[in-house]
Amino acid sequence: MTTTVIEAHQLSLQLAGKCVLDGVSLHIGRGHFLGIVGPNGAGKSSLIGILTGRHPHYQGLLRLFGMDVSSRNRRRLLSRIGYLHQMHSSQSHLPMRVADVVAMGLASWNRPLWHRLDRQSSIEKALQQVDMEDFRDADFRYLSGGQMQRVRLARALVRTPELLLLDEPAAAMDNKHQQQLYRLLRRLCDETGMSVVMVEHDIAAITGYVDSVACLNQRIHYHAMKGEQIPEDIWHQMYGSHMHVIAHDSGCIGCCEVT
Amino acid sequence: MQWMAFFHSPVIQQALLPAGLIALVTASMSVMILAHRLSFLTVGVSHASLAGLGIAATLALPVLPTATLIAILLAVLLAWMPAAEGISEDTGTGLLFAGSMALGIVLLSRLSASDINLFSLLFGDVLTISHSEKLWLALVAVIILGLLLIFARRWWAIAFDPVTAEASGLPVQTLRVLLYAAVGMTVMMCVKLVGVVLTTGMLVLPAAAAWFWGRSPGGLWLISVALAMPGTYGGLYLSYVEDWPSGATVVLVLCLIFLCSWGLAWLRQQHGKKPDTPA
Repeated sequence: MTTTVIEAHQLSLQLAGKCVLDGVSLHIGRGHFLGIVGPNGAGKSSLIGILTGRHPHYQGLLRLFGMDVSSRNRRRLLSRIGYLHQMHSSQSHLPMRVADVVAMGLASWNRPLWHRLDRQSSIEKALQQVDMEDFRDADFRYLSGGQMQRVRLARALVRTPELLLLDEPAAAMDNKHQQQLYRLLRRLCDETGMSVVMVEHDIAAITGYVDSVACLNQRIHYHAMKGEQIPEDIWHQMYGSHMHVIAHDSGCIGCCEVT
Repeated sequence: MQWMAFFHSPVIQQALLPAGLIALVTASMSVMILAHRLSFLTVGVSHASLAGLGIAATLALPVLPTATLIAILLAVLLAWMPAAEGISEDTGTGLLFAGSMALGIVLLSRLSASDINLFSLLFGDVLTISHSEKLWLALVAVIILGLLLIFARRWWAIAFDPVTAEASGLPVQTLRVLLYAAVGMTVMMCVKLVGVVLTTGMLVLPAAAAWFWGRSPGGLWLISVALAMPGTYGGLYLSYVEDWPSGATVVLVLCLIFLCSWGLAWLRQQHGKKPDTPA
């Protein structure tokens, strides 16, 4: 039985008087891996912002894990969600070991100091998942951009979320670790039933891993399931005429190149 | 034998415990102040506290409790201000800093010299601490340390990454208001030891010196306290021996400790290890 994790109906959002999202509807089931693509300023991060509670003043209906989202239950629902935002929006100057950064993802981190931090095994497991177990005691500030992002992903995974929201997670990663990341997310969806919503620019990179791709530019222009072609006019609607569509095999959902 | 005379001096004996308590609390909070980059806030609130001291003196209210309440109010106002469009946090701090200090100067100028010791307000004088002031300091210290025990990890998570902290369900704005209130209280504790002008030194230097060596929140806190304690007592001793103003001497010794820490970190870097740079 597929449980609905995200049920969004006609979501609209205005920021500083400007319409950012207009009538977005989405249904995501348990274990589903959704990729969201769209041009800059399309509202991708704003949609993630609604799901993470950063933009509570939206219009429309939003249900998470079968429950209407309200100011009363928002924090409780958020505790079931993992989130990794764009890396360039946070460059920490704090001295911290990698293991401590991951520990911040545990629910027990937010307890008073007299509660011991437990679940060291969860930290080890999360670091292994992102291939960073050898950096457990390293100073987080001196890691490379890609390594930092993998540690942040471990922090998002350490509490074993039911829904993982990722905003361009692979931007600072090399190709090898990008592919590792997508493979890991695919495996987590299949093996644990975790659902993933990932904003990504490079549709060609994710197409072999996701279950569906939503083409977003203020509204969802097209929601393509695996193996489905995205019509060329959709790309033109989203990106304008300055683009080429490149042919791809039947396993792909679609890919594009903006010139 | 000056050590013996120092410890046997009745004035010093009165000051040792409050000074140690202030050093413990300020060193603990200084880690959070650097983590959240609130150094300018401490400058603003400490100078703005002159208004609180002026109001207390003018209305004949208890000085430290009144000034502490006003410092908390100002700090909380600054926590909320960035939410208002068009006023950034440093602009708001500058506005409150100037306005409150001007109010304080006007109020204090209307009092006679016997009503208020302006020098001790500006530069501190822990050697003249009264019994009721000691009790007030102890109460405020317990509240601040209690807040740190309860909220330190959450405050640290917000300093590390406020976006993820909010998305994980933490009430970021409420926690920020609590942190700023704690900073307001800490500032007022400091004013008694080093005065309005030098408070920022006490609230920044211990953690800044520790920043070169700490690699975790707990480690930073331990080093910060370990440096602030000898700095404070060393400063008191030097002020006793040389007959220098106590507050300024304490801050001078903390500056020396910071410079030593910086120099050692530089030497470590020359020998191939990466130093940790202060915030």
